[in-house]
Amino acid sequence: MMKDVPTVNVDRPPSSLLERIYLGPIFSGLGVTLRHFLRNLFGKKDIATIEYPEVKRQYSERLRGRHILTTRDNGKLRCVACYMCETACPAHCIHIVAEENPGEEVAHEKVPRIYEIDLLRCVYCGYCVDACPEEAIIMSRTHEMAFSDRDEAVIGIEELRQKGPIEEADIGYRPYF
Amino acid sequence: MRQPDGSSIVLTTKLQSMLAWVRKNSLWPLPFGTACCAIEFMSSVSAHYDLARFGAEVVRFSPRQSDMMIVAGTITDKMAPVVRRVYDQMAEPKYVISMGACACTGGFYRAYHVVQGVDEFIPVDVYVPGCPPTPEALIHGILELQKMIQRGETHYDRLSQKGAGNAESASI
Amino acid sequence: MQNPLPSKLQSLLLSSEVCPDGHVEMKVERSHLLEVLKGLRDDPACSCNLLADICGVDYPDREQRFEAVYHLGNLDSGQRYRVRVGLAEDDAVLPSAYSLWPAADWFEREAWDMMGIQFEGHPNMKRILTHEAFQGHPLRKDYDASQRCLMTEDDLMVPDWAKEDQASADDFETQILNIGPSHPATHGTLRTVVRLDGEVIDRAECEIGYLHRCFEKMSETHGWNQVIPYTDRLNYCSSMINGVGFALTVEKMLGIEAPPRAQAIRVILSEFSRLMDHAVCLGANLVDLGALTNFWYFFQPREEIYGLLESCAGGRLTVSYARVGGLSHDVPPDFEERCRRLLKEIPPFLDDVDKLVTTNRIFRDRTEGVGKMTAEEAIAWGWTGPCLRASGVPYDVRKAAPYMGYENYDFDVPIATTGDTYARYLVRMEEMRQSLRIIEQALDQMPEGPIITGDHHVALPPKARVYSEMESLIWHFKLVFDGIHVPKGSAYGFTEGANGELGYYVVSDGGGQPYRVKVRPPCFAIFQAFPHLIEGHMVPDLIAIMGSLNIIAGELDR
Repeated sequence: MMKDVPTVNVDRPPSSLLERIYLGPIFSGLGVTLRHFLRNLFGKKDIATIEYPEVKRQYSERLRGRHILTTRDNGKLRCVACYMCETACPAHCIHIVAEENPGEEVAHEKVPRIYEIDLLRCVYCGYCVDACPEEAIIMSRTHEMAFSDRDEAVIGIEELRQKGPIEEADIGYRPYF
Repeated sequence: MRQPDGSSIVLTTKLQSMLAWVRKNSLWPLPFGTACCAIEFMSSVSAHYDLARFGAEVVRFSPRQSDMMIVAGTITDKMAPVVRRVYDQMAEPKYVISMGACACTGGFYRAYHVVQGVDEFIPVDVYVPGCPPTPEALIHGILELQKMIQRGETHYDRLSQKGAGNAESASI
Repeated sequence: MQNPLPSKLQSLLLSSEVCPDGHVEMKVERSHLLEVLKGLRDDPACSCNLLADICGVDYPDREQRFEAVYHLGNLDSGQRYRVRVGLAEDDAVLPSAYSLWPAADWFEREAWDMMGIQFEGHPNMKRILTHEAFQGHPLRKDYDASQRCLMTEDDLMVPDWAKEDQASADDFETQILNIGPSHPATHGTLRTVVRLDGEVIDRAECEIGYLHRCFEKMSETHGWNQVIPYTDRLNYCSSMINGVGFALTVEKMLGIEAPPRAQAIRVILSEFSRLMDHAVCLGANLVDLGALTNFWYFFQPREEIYGLLESCAGGRLTVSYARVGGLSHDVPPDFEERCRRLLKEIPPFLDDVDKLVTTNRIFRDRTEGVGKMTAEEAIAWGWTGPCLRASGVPYDVRKAAPYMGYENYDFDVPIATTGDTYARYLVRMEEMRQSLRIIEQALDQMPEGPIITGDHHVALPPKARVYSEMESLIWHFKLVFDGIHVPKGSAYGFTEGANGELGYYVVSDGGGQPYRVKVRPPCFAIFQAFPHLIEGHMVPDLIAIMGSLNIIAGELDR
């Protein structure tokens, strides 16, 4: 069975005289690096380096960054504290405490009193977004974060809440239909 | 030179801020890379992100020659004494960046052989979240560290402000 | 299917059957184990030349608490065999198979470390993944997943022979040298202790486990789909392949198949991942040999591929894209265009490296004849993948046991005959070009359709329906809270990872979480031959050989 497999032999013959005296390959190698050098020097268009942080590359629309808790039109959180994201999270980095909805709306009985994500525990796998039945948690494209203290990285509802209209948020990974 | 009441005179303040400026722009990293994050560290020193633009391209695996330890990747109980030994061998001033979820907190490995954050045994200045963090996030972390060095807020600065036994302030 | 076992062997077995996936499974008493294994190896009807894996499973409720499962294979016919042997808790001792296959070396040590099964006659029965101060055997069911054992001394793990040598310092000719784990050429986590006679290595031993992050225990505490992000971090250079391999194994147990479109996308992204993996391997290997420029050239196409993965899955390195039954969501509209652009952009970079390195005399002198492995030895050590093909064995799981429609693609298996470091370089270079061929065909044939199975016991319903329909919402709830329920049983699924045969042996007890997941990492088998490979070479050769084997610690130590 293994004998019927189409193979290609990549063995190379012993070095030729030109290769043995080293000059041929070294000039062709120098040619390669010189071409790259000249192209980088004069052809400004395709330089690989991105001048971060002044210039940023085009991020994917699905980039998984820091989470956003979305809000309804009336400014209240969409979250109904169903604990699905907490269950689906492989890192167990989401902590929710639910309470009865204090408002007059009866359509949504529960709201989160505490909703915390430990951004340092989180592995940004997007499972919370997949698990949410309300599109209440989505991810932004904010991925540049740094903390000087571990406690700073545990963020609550106020930090997570969507700021302003959703179109202006830098949305990343969200449920696809 | 520090006054008895703890305030510094103008000249040394200027000198110190110059020293901080010098330090922050030549952070030679020691990448303690063990896992996935090390691959992203490799990306950030390669052509696309080019860490050289921030004076941090001289990757040194010798602890004596480096200023900034980047712990990139999961640290296990088996590895922890090695990390500590390498950290102890680094000359002061030294800074630590903990890169990625595993190094910061253990990430989703709440497990029998994984250290739940390298700050269990070495002081960490900057935590960079992500699994693994993108090269941009790492560079952002390094820029944050530079700001902290300028402001004098790192662990090293705090230790040296406590006073005695600090070679740098004595020489100034 | 006929039971292919010869009658001489059958009389030694408790039972034997042919599993639905074609593997021949047999149960055997401990007293007959070695005889059966020897029979399987030597009988011409079986001639198993590959010992793929040894896995221990713990069943606390059974009378015979432990079970050791040997996975064997015949590379020529492709037939697979599985031997199970039960063991009582107070007498968990097995005869070592090291004399039959040297590959048993580390697999048996792992079974001892993780499960506490002793192997009589093993030359070096020590812990391998955890440290010396570790108490207990973590994969036993009564071991708490978060129970840590601290180690405070870092110089404990020195081989006995090295200690003896250091003690008798009267011989000035030999010297003990420790390389790693924190060493630029050991990729962070590998450690080798060598004894030098002058400048030549005359004895060596590897210490691994510095990145043992308990993948298998974590799998047992998470749902079936939640394991996928963990698999991404096994071989993090080609994370897509790992996730797909796991998903395929679970799909095999469920008896379902991913839709054709999902399969095509999986193939395309797996091949891109393979390409990246080889690029990192060769780039790092060449850096270790002093050829830094290639590293930059390799990393440019890599960044582009990262961009492609990010546009599909949202993550650059750890994609978490595969799901049991398909993929998490469809590719973006510009997917094909981007792939085709990459197909054009990548070959020039490969050509550049080719021109810089392949015929370069310094490179050839440093790699030719270094770290030679013959085909027979390589198979006996359990080698698979590019390293085995460099020794002249055209074994590729994509050809030998095609999955995901690999049988429909036209590609060649690159082989070399010399089996040295140079051959491994050449094979990897050619494999990258072959991967591009596969991607091109897969793009041409890519079907339309769904990307995940419609079975609501397995896949989350589409979000639009979850938001609007009660029934879908209930399925969604059930699946998130309860997880997939995989029928009771076990399966061994194997795919061609970037380094060779990546196998998952999965046991299910019918619950929402795997009962046992055992990974068969290709690196593990390859790296155990490393001490044997470097004996007689110098330290700089050790660096060259280690780089060419492409040892990924995440996969090696799990």
